Amino acid sequence: MNQQHALPARRPTRGGALAWLTEETTAGMARRKTLLAYLFLLPTVLGILVFTAGPVLVSLGLSLFSWDVISPPTFIGLNNYQQFLSDPEGLKSFVNTFIYVALDVALQIAVGLSLALAMQQKMPRWLRYAFRSAFFLPLVTSGAAVSIVMSFLFNKDLGAINYYLGLLHIPPVPWLSSASWAMVTVVLTSVWQQMGFTFLVFTGGLGTISPEVLDAADVDGARGWRRLWYVTVPMLSPTILFVAVTGVIGALQVFTEPYVLTNGGPGDATHTVVMTIYQAAFQNLQIGYGSAVAALLFAVIMAVTAVQFGLSKTWVFYQ
Amino acid sequence: MGEITTQTYSRREVLKNAGLGLAATVSAGTLAASSAPLGVSARGVPALSRRQKATLRVVGQLDANTKKLTAMFEHLHPEITLDYINVQAPDWDSLFTKLLTMVAAGQAPDVITVATEGVQQFAAHNLVVPLDDYVKRDKAELAEFFADVHPTLVEAMMYKGSLYELPTDFNAVDMYYNPTLFAQAGFGRPSDTWTKDDFYKIAKAITKKKGSLTTTFGYGWVVRLWGSWTPWIHVNGGDLLEFGRAPGGSWLWDTFYKNDPQAKGRGGGLHWGPPTANLPSNVEALQFMLDLINEGISPVPTVNGGNALQGFFASKQLGMTPAGGFWAGGLHAAGLKANQFDVQFWPKWKTQRTHFGTAGKMIMRSSQNKDAAWEYCKFYASKPAMTIELDGNGTTPTRRSMMTAARYAPTGPSHWQVFYATLDRAGTRAMPAPTYYNAMSNVLDKYTTLACGGTATAKQALDGMQQELESLYISSIK
Repeated sequence: MNQQHALPARRPTRGGALAWLTEETTAGMARRKTLLAYLFLLPTVLGILVFTAGPVLVSLGLSLFSWDVISPPTFIGLNNYQQFLSDPEGLKSFVNTFIYVALDVALQIAVGLSLALAMQQKMPRWLRYAFRSAFFLPLVTSGAAVSIVMSFLFNKDLGAINYYLGLLHIPPVPWLSSASWAMVTVVLTSVWQQMGFTFLVFTGGLGTISPEVLDAADVDGARGWRRLWYVTVPMLSPTILFVAVTGVIGALQVFTEPYVLTNGGPGDATHTVVMTIYQAAFQNLQIGYGSAVAALLFAVIMAVTAVQFGLSKTWVFYQ
Repeated sequence: MGEITTQTYSRREVLKNAGLGLAATVSAGTLAASSAPLGVSARGVPALSRRQKATLRVVGQLDANTKKLTAMFEHLHPEITLDYINVQAPDWDSLFTKLLTMVAAGQAPDVITVATEGVQQFAAHNLVVPLDDYVKRDKAELAEFFADVHPTLVEAMMYKGSLYELPTDFNAVDMYYNPTLFAQAGFGRPSDTWTKDDFYKIAKAITKKKGSLTTTFGYGWVVRLWGSWTPWIHVNGGDLLEFGRAPGGSWLWDTFYKNDPQAKGRGGGLHWGPPTANLPSNVEALQFMLDLINEGISPVPTVNGGNALQGFFASKQLGMTPAGGFWAGGLHAAGLKANQFDVQFWPKWKTQRTHFGTAGKMIMRSSQNKDAAWEYCKFYASKPAMTIELDGNGTTPTRRSMMTAARYAPTGPSHWQVFYATLDRAGTRAMPAPTYYNAMSNVLDKYTTLACGGTATAKQALDGMQQELESLYISSIK
């Protein structure tokens, strides 16, 4: 908080707190402004405490217990964390999630940026709106519904995608039934659904690039790919950082697409961390173990985000 | 790590204190211990007098049929009001997960709908109450119900000698087929005792290819425990878990099924022992499925593909598929006419035994209105109530007297008698659903998809399955 909003030191006055607050002086006005600011912040702070910090603390506490919902919880210290370290499936779910994050975030950025750049081209206004709506529509559609439809489309033998590939003499791709393809399918489904958001953010980012900078690049002979790589991308780097950070946080928590499309299979090829948490806590009634994995995921998200911000100093350019 | 101290706390205390940010204090063991079980009271509640009003929280969707049922019930029992809680779930596994979450949140309803998949799970965890005393008390009233319901369906609702539900609907695994595709391939309706080889011949003949692509498949299925590749295990004489019968239950059989030959030898419920997933008969059954896939007779099955399978069958891309009575209503809703599909018993291999799942209402132990809940359970299992609730053939009624030609005339299939007669096929019993059903279902999905995707052979997949099931079994008996 800056100095202007700092709460001035209380001085003893005859009228008590109310008089101190309503004092018709510059200091009194400053106090009222500060109080108002806190009042505006209060709902948000309360919301965070009750719905975010509270559950996080409860979950952290529960990670030290063995609890099946039905019997009383038993304190077991760090046993749940030890169990995770000796659980190859749990560790595999982290590996799967990292693979998903890498593919998903890279593709989200590439596709979102490409679409945003394509929309910079001259075209009739109605066409631009039509494209924007088409890109954004999947984002406001239920992830579960999208995944169900995608499971029809990606069916190896009866799905529409392989039918059209067949017309091009491409043999059927085992989108959902092969351990090596299933993750690709999950990523493609997710990218298709989420690309509207990255497109929107990049469109906003491109709008903030000063036309003078682009004109200067033109004058200097930087056009096409050179201009994109040496001018547009560096100028967009804060936006790319934003997309990367929010994308990684979201992708580390992926659940709906693999759950509906493959239920983590074939085998455990698409089994993600949040699926491990869900199965442990709500299917196998190992609430403590699920909480421990959730705590580990929380730590991983914090660490990855910190690293991203740390590295950003080397490549993010603020105008 | 140092020695772990163990101490128990009530759920309320843990949540309260952890919520206050006292997780560290909790871990230090400073909270008062309590052995009281999680708000789950075992105390009985005195019977309702006519003047006492009770509101029953019932899991269910308040659709048109339920509204009719509610009006009927509240007319019969003006002292009881029904409050429906709509729990949406695509399958039984998801429903149980949601119900358990409600229990964890302290929002347990009074009456829940539970199928075979969850009977032992709920009973073993002491979440629900046995109905024995109620059934004994009201035996005169219930004689008509039991006389109308196959004993194997009742046995599926028992656990360790006690009855937990009055079964109201079931689905046995049978073979649905498309008569038009059969006729085009030169086959008529298969005989009641058709064999696995007959099945293979027909499936192969139905399969049509265009280049390397199959356009019509002889047979299709989805990966799950009920009606997946598991019927092939059973007809091949195998089982995923060692099967036995719990002792007890004579109080029921002697009272209601004394002269029924089908009730002979039944006990206090199904007992699922150690896993037997990698028996040679099971490997052979899975290999048969993989052969069908490799030959292009069957598409590669996926998890959660039930709706897609129904769509493919309805669009005449599948010749045969495993399904139960619930498909009659589903296919009718998908636009198929009554003569466009039919059903037959599962083909014989070493046996002709398949499995079924059945469902009914359970009373939660935490209910403060158990007597009212029992009245509701009894009402729900009455013929007038079941006639309304099971309208449309979205499932199969457990009452033999409700299985009529008139019932199936609007939807089909022509040979609707197969649904109930499947229960008489020697050895047919409830699907394997031990207390660790959810975890078992995930393990089955995992290894079946590995085999079907070509990542593991049938033997490797079932060895892996066996290993994981063994560990689940050991945890369950600790």
